[in-house]
Amino acid sequence: MNGAVATTIIVAGLALAVYALLMTALNHRMNVPMLAAVGVLEILLLIQVGLVVAKLAGGERPASLGTLIGYLIATPLVPVAAALWGLMERSRWGPAVVAIAGLVAAVLMVRLHQVWPVIHV
Amino acid sequence: MSEPVAPPETAASQPESTRSGPGRLLVAIYALFALSATARAGVQIATKFSHAPVAYLLSAFAGAVYILATVTLIVGSRTARRIAVVSCSIELIGVLAVGTWSLLDRASFPDATVWSGYGSGYGFVPLVLPVFGLLWLRRLTRRGRGAEDVDARQEFTQSAGLNAHSKDVAQWDRDRANRDRVGSDHDRPRQLSPNCQAQGQGYPGGRRGSF
Repeated sequence: MNGAVATTIIVAGLALAVYALLMTALNHRMNVPMLAAVGVLEILLLIQVGLVVAKLAGGERPASLGTLIGYLIATPLVPVAAALWGLMERSRWGPAVVAIAGLVAAVLMVRLHQVWPVIHV
Repeated sequence: MSEPVAPPETAASQPESTRSGPGRLLVAIYALFALSATARAGVQIATKFSHAPVAYLLSAFAGAVYILATVTLIVGSRTARRIAVVSCSIELIGVLAVGTWSLLDRASFPDATVWSGYGSGYGFVPLVLPVFGLLWLRRLTRRGRGAEDVDARQEFTQSAGLNAHSKDVAQWDRDRANRDRVGSDHDRPRQLSPNCQAQGQGYPGGRRGSF
């Protein structure tokens, strides 16, 4: 598995965080372009999860399977939870929640690599 | 970006104030730490408890405190706020104590906890988070509005055995409004009509109150 998707997620997550923090700094609320950006991150994360699941289906196993499965379940939930929680807030702090999701997505890719080094970043 | 500028913290004067405004961000980060600390401790205790029992138990304790803080910040009633202050304080003491302990006695910590090295494994967020939590709760208490008002009004209504439309409750509201007026030039953004916002007249207090 090459690390193209994971690297893209890290870059996209950090870019989303910068964009969202800019929205917060400029006192903007959540808007449609921001939701679209979260959607793109979600799709990328689902692709990454799919790649890892395919590898598991191929018979390979990490040292700690339980932890990996936990990460695989939690990862796609992060942008969804952030978007819902951020949309409930009609102020600058909605995008701030999305910024956290972007950072978390990037960190999760590093953690996936630590849990199972065959997942390249 | 031609997006309309969000009104600063009008939600802060609503009963849900602990979880809105900056609290929205705070709850999100608390929820993240509640999940990650608890899940990590759970896996470690289930699979390799004897490896570093002190570290894993402390991680589990930290996770429990994060869950408590998350829930109480979301609920935001007067009692919940008091519990939130206590749990944020425990967190701050915990991260300082465990941080120092982990540096002095490395043998007890063959594996890291959320709080070891003052939360250095988590970008020092565990050190900063309770400080912001306490500042946020103090700010709400100082403002003296929101959930406490709703609670106090409810208590008054119940204690007097009245319904919410009685004369006494109306008087309570007037008293409350008078108290508001006295302090209104401070940190309370006034509610403007949508019309007024559309004309871009801004807020009497400028952007004060937008943290």
